[in-house]
This record gives sequence, structure tokens and C-alpha cells, in this order.
Amino acid sequence: MTDSEQNSSTTAPVVACQGVQRIYQQDTVPVYALRGADLTINAGEFVSLAGPSGSGKSTLLNVIGGLDGFDAGSVVVGGVDLGGLNAAELAEMRLRNVGFVFQAYNLIPVLTARENVEFILQLQGTPNQERRERADAALQRLGLGDLGDRRPGELSGGQQQRVAIARAIVTEPVLLLADEPTANLDSKTTEELLGLLRDLNPQQGMTIVTATHDPIVMGYTSRQVAMLDGEIHQDSASAD
Amino acid sequence: MIRLAWRNLQRNAARTWLTAGGIGFSVLLVSFAMSLQSGSYEIMIDAATRYFTGHAQISEKSYIDQPRLDRTLQNVQALQTELSAIEGLTVFPRVQAFAVVSMEEKSLGGMVVGVDFDAERQHLDIYDNVIEGDVPRQADQAMIGVSMARNLGAAVGDELVVLGSGKQGAVAAAIFVISGIVETGQTALDRTLVFAPIGGVAEAFYLHDEAHMLLLMVDDLSQLNAIAAQIEPLLSERLTLQTWQQLMPLIEQSIEMDKAGGYLFFSLLLILVTFAVVNTFVMVLYERTREFGLFMALGMRPWQVIGQVQFEALLLSSLGVALGLGLSYPLISYLTSVGIPLDQMGGEEAIQQMQMGAMDRIYPKATLTSLATAPLVMMIGTQLAALVSTVRVRGINPVTALRAE
Ligand SMILES: Nc1ncnc2c1ncn2[C@@H]1O[C@H](COP(=O)(O)OP(=O)(O)O)[C@@H](O)[C@H]1O
Ligand SMILES: [Mg+2]
Repeated sequence: MTDSEQNSSTTAPVVACQGVQRIYQQDTVPVYALRGADLTINAGEFVSLAGPSGSGKSTLLNVIGGLDGFDAGSVVVGGVDLGGLNAAELAEMRLRNVGFVFQAYNLIPVLTARENVEFILQLQGTPNQERRERADAALQRLGLGDLGDRRPGELSGGQQQRVAIARAIVTEPVLLLADEPTANLDSKTTEELLGLLRDLNPQQGMTIVTATHDPIVMGYTSRQVAMLDGEIHQDSASAD
Repeated sequence: MIRLAWRNLQRNAARTWLTAGGIGFSVLLVSFAMSLQSGSYEIMIDAATRYFTGHAQISEKSYIDQPRLDRTLQNVQALQTELSAIEGLTVFPRVQAFAVVSMEEKSLGGMVVGVDFDAERQHLDIYDNVIEGDVPRQADQAMIGVSMARNLGAAVGDELVVLGSGKQGAVAAAIFVISGIVETGQTALDRTLVFAPIGGVAEAFYLHDEAHMLLLMVDDLSQLNAIAAQIEPLLSERLTLQTWQQLMPLIEQSIEMDKAGGYLFFSLLLILVTFAVVNTFVMVLYERTREFGLFMALGMRPWQVIGQVQFEALLLSSLGVALGLGLSYPLISYLTSVGIPLDQMGGEEAIQQMQMGAMDRIYPKATLTSLATAPLVMMIGTQLAALVSTVRVRGINPVTALRAE
């Protein structure tokens, strides 16, 4: 990133969606996953995206993260209009600017926790020594200092999800997107995890958006957005 | 990346070993069979050339089509001296003449061959087949084929009169005492050959420092072409050098046929194994669609995913090749030193067909081709197999791949 981009990202919103539509074709029947979603998120916000299943939370996160395309409207992330990027540029953007955390932890089973975290740095071309240091630091931050040599199968669900978060933040992305990260965790683990996420937020100025059904999760976030039928239904930031 | 590839192979260890085993087995089989083939060709060529014909012959060009007495090499001594400077080469002169061979009232057409017995005995096997008496030791002695002896009613010690036309139409006549009888097993030879010392034959047919051919034997057959190239410039316009391939085209043809048959079989085997490898990688893609989707969600490009799988393929085939060569090389080396008895392979008939007593064992020969062909084909095959099965990662949509639970 250039200096000017970095400056603009502190003043301009990190995410600006306008009239975003995403239409899936299912057996020739169009399914409207997003039907004109408007959402602006500023730097440093910790946003929860709530709503019933099928309301379009995942689709919106994927569109913002450059993982999925969209059919109408505009999506600007970190000052870059995603509508103008090709597949390679989107992949590059995901690699550099966005951290993803999925519901199913999605770690690489054959790699240890540390190797999973290092993997993404390796894709970025970070040299060996630095890679290891940064991976260890990220694991440390998430309280996994001792577990770096374990494989995902040897970790609990909560620990695996923390590894996934470590992997997502190790590249110091502008934006961390989490899709129901606590859906498979019990309430105690959920609270631990959210505590960690919330701490990341002011420390790094990292902007976090998490999809969830869970009121506990919403309680931890600084802003609550509710979705319904592919649209933004309620937003605590614009609430009366 | 190497680590990831290696761990992924370990993930499904049974399949990895099965696939690597398949590659290894085909490498073992093909490299062994090819070594055996090249060993058997070597023996076949060696046995055939060592019998009577030699590895190569130098003669007058027109003598090849019409072996007339006057079509000789001149200044043989000088040429022989020149050739003797070449490393790993032995040269024998021969003279040959058609003649009427008679004993008492009986007469037959025959071919009188004048040879240097002391020299030829050391290199050629025909002299091992003397069934009665011995090779000639004196200028007036001769050895004849067993059928000729029977037809003439001749035995060792009998006198033989040889009548022919010498150079410039002069009558050539000589008397030889039969010192031995030889049985080559080839009727044409056994019926017509009269071996006598070259000096005596040359004198009888008025040949001075002349020969009809120079027989060449090399120490290492694989050097034959190189040596032939060295000889070529020493020969005058009128002379030509023929290697065993030209002298015995049937042997060369049968080797080529056998090779072609072998290649067909080897190709089939290798193609079959390659299909098994394709299957392995189709399974890999199927099982790991989600993982590949994750890779791409994290920002990996499809070609990087393909590269990763290519790496796994390389490790897999290297493992297989190491396995195959690890088994076949020691086996070939061992059998190269002890040989495989032919009678255990039903080779009796083959021995008879080739009229050779010396070939009772076959020695496989490891050559670069025999050892490297199968590994090379398998490695390239595995990479291609992995490639054709993984190009489809380009069609993986990370969103749907990750959604599928
Ligand atoms: N790949 C797809 N093909 C067809 N329909 C899809 C696809 N992905 C999502 N949908 C549909 O889009 C709508 C929104 O889905 P999603 O964004 O996953 O909702 P949420 O995450 O809020 O549960 C749903 O009706 C879902 O069935
Ligand atoms: Mg969802």
C-alpha cells in the first residue's frame, strides 16, 4: 500500500456498500441473497451483523471480502472499488487487506497451528525468520503460546478458532471478517474469544465485522447491524 | 510447501504407498526387463559375431556382390600394421576361394578358407566345435566340415586334393592332409568349408600379400561404431567396411522386432499405471475441494494450488521411482554378475537355433536407457496425470467450496 492509500483509509470509511445486489441462479430461479444493501463502516469499528438464517449475512461478508462478486451497486473497501478488480486482483486484495474467520475453523489439517499461521505469510512471500516470529507473536496474542506445535486435530474447537483468528490477523489486515465464528462454541469459550477480538480492536485499530445470531456476541460489539431478506434492517449507529 | 506436500502424502498413507508401489513396481519390471533385453541382445550379437563372421569386415566393394578370387585387398601387411595402432581392435586376414575338393574318386564343390588359426582360435567360437582331430598346425593340413567328410568318406589323416582357378586363370592345385573335422550345425557350412592355413591357400591360388577380407574383432562392442569411424579414413576408395548389422541383417532385424514388441508391452504397462495415478489425483481433488477452496479464499491463485499438487506428484513419483530402482538396480547388478541359467527359462531351443554352445546363461545389462526410461516416463506421466486432474481447481468457487460441509 502507498502512503496516500493509508492516509485515506484513516479518514474515509473502511467499507462503503451502496445498493449491493447479489442474485444467485438456482435451477433457473433467481434467488436474491442481497437486494440493495447499504452499509458504511469506519475504521476501528467492531460491528455485528445479525439476522435470521438466509438473510444474507454470509453473502454480504463474502462480497465485502472480495470472495464473492455482486450484480449491482458498489462496494468500496479501503478506498478500492471492488467492482473494477479482476480475479487476480481480488485474490491479492484478500491476501493483503482482509482477514477471514469462518464458522468451521477451516485450518489445514496436516499443518501445525504455527504452520497454519505461517502459511498465509508464506503466500505473501515473507522471509522464513520473520514469518516464524510473527506467527509466534500472533499465537501469543491469542493465548496459544504453548500450542504452536499441535495439529488442528489435537486442539479444542475454541483453540482451533483462535488459531484461525491468529492466521487472520497475522498479516495485519485492514479488515477482519468473521462469519459466525462462535456458532460451534459453548458460551464460555464464546466469551473468551470475543474478549480477545474486542482487545484486538483498539490495539491495532483493526476493523472487525462478524456475522452472528448470538446475543452474547452482539453484546461485545460496538455497533449492531441487523439484516433481513438481503437488506439492512436495523443499525444501532443510525438508531434514533 | 515441501512440508505441506509431504504431510499431505502422509495423510492418506495407504493410498500413497499403493500408488508409489504401483509406480515402483512398473519401474522395477520395466527397468529389469529392459536390462534383460539389452543383456540378451548383447549376448546374441556377441555369440553370432564371435562364431565365424566377426564384428566387422573390410573387403573390396565389388567382392560383396560377386566374391571373385581377384577382387582382393592389396598390401594387406601394411594395412594390418596401420590398423593395429587402433586401441581395442584385433584384425585377421582371410582368403577364400571356390574349388573342387576331391578324395579318390569323389569330388565336391567347396569353399577353401585360408585363416590364421592361432589368432582366430583366441577370438572365434567355431574352432571350439572340432569334433574329431584338431585345427591344422602345418601349412599342408586342413580341417573340413562334417557333412563334407561324410560325403567324401574322409577321415582324419586322409589326403584331399583341391583344384581351382588361381589369379589370372592359372590352375591352382594343392594337397592337404585332414587334421580335423568341424561341426558347426549349419548345413551349408558343414558341407562346403575347407579350412586351411592362410599361407598355404594364398600360395596355391597365387595371391601375394593379398586377402579377401580383414575380419575385425573389438574388445568392447559398444565402441564398434567409434572404431569403424577411425578406420574409415584409412581405407582406399575401392574398399569398404561392413559392421555386423550389414553382415547379418537378420539378427539386427530380429532385435529391432523384439525391441518394438517390448516397447509396446512397456508402454501399455506404463500407460496403465499412469491411469492409476490419474485416479489418485482425481480422488485428491475430490477430497480436498474444500481445502483448495480455503487456499483460494485466503488469496492463493489457482495456479499456485496446481503447483502445490504438482509438488505432491513429484514427491510421490520420486518415492515410487526410488522404490523401483532401489529394488531393480541391486537385482540387476547381482544377476549381471551371476547370470540367469537359460535352461531354466526354456532357452534350450533358442540355443540350438543360434548354434551356440557358449550361451547357457544370460546376463542382464544395466544401461542408461534400460534404467532411466521407466523412471522418466513415470515421472512425466505422474506430473501430467496430476495436472490433468487438477486443472479443474480453476473451476472451484471458494464460496461454494467452503459452504459445502
Ligand atoms: N451459492 C448459492 N447458490 C444459491 N443460493 C445461494 C447461494 N449462496 C447463498 N444462497 C442463498 O442466498 C441467501 C442468503 O444466504 P446467506 O448469505 O448464506 O445467508 P446467511 O448467512 O444470513 O444465513 C439464502 O437464501 C441462500 O439460500
Ligand atoms: Mg451464513
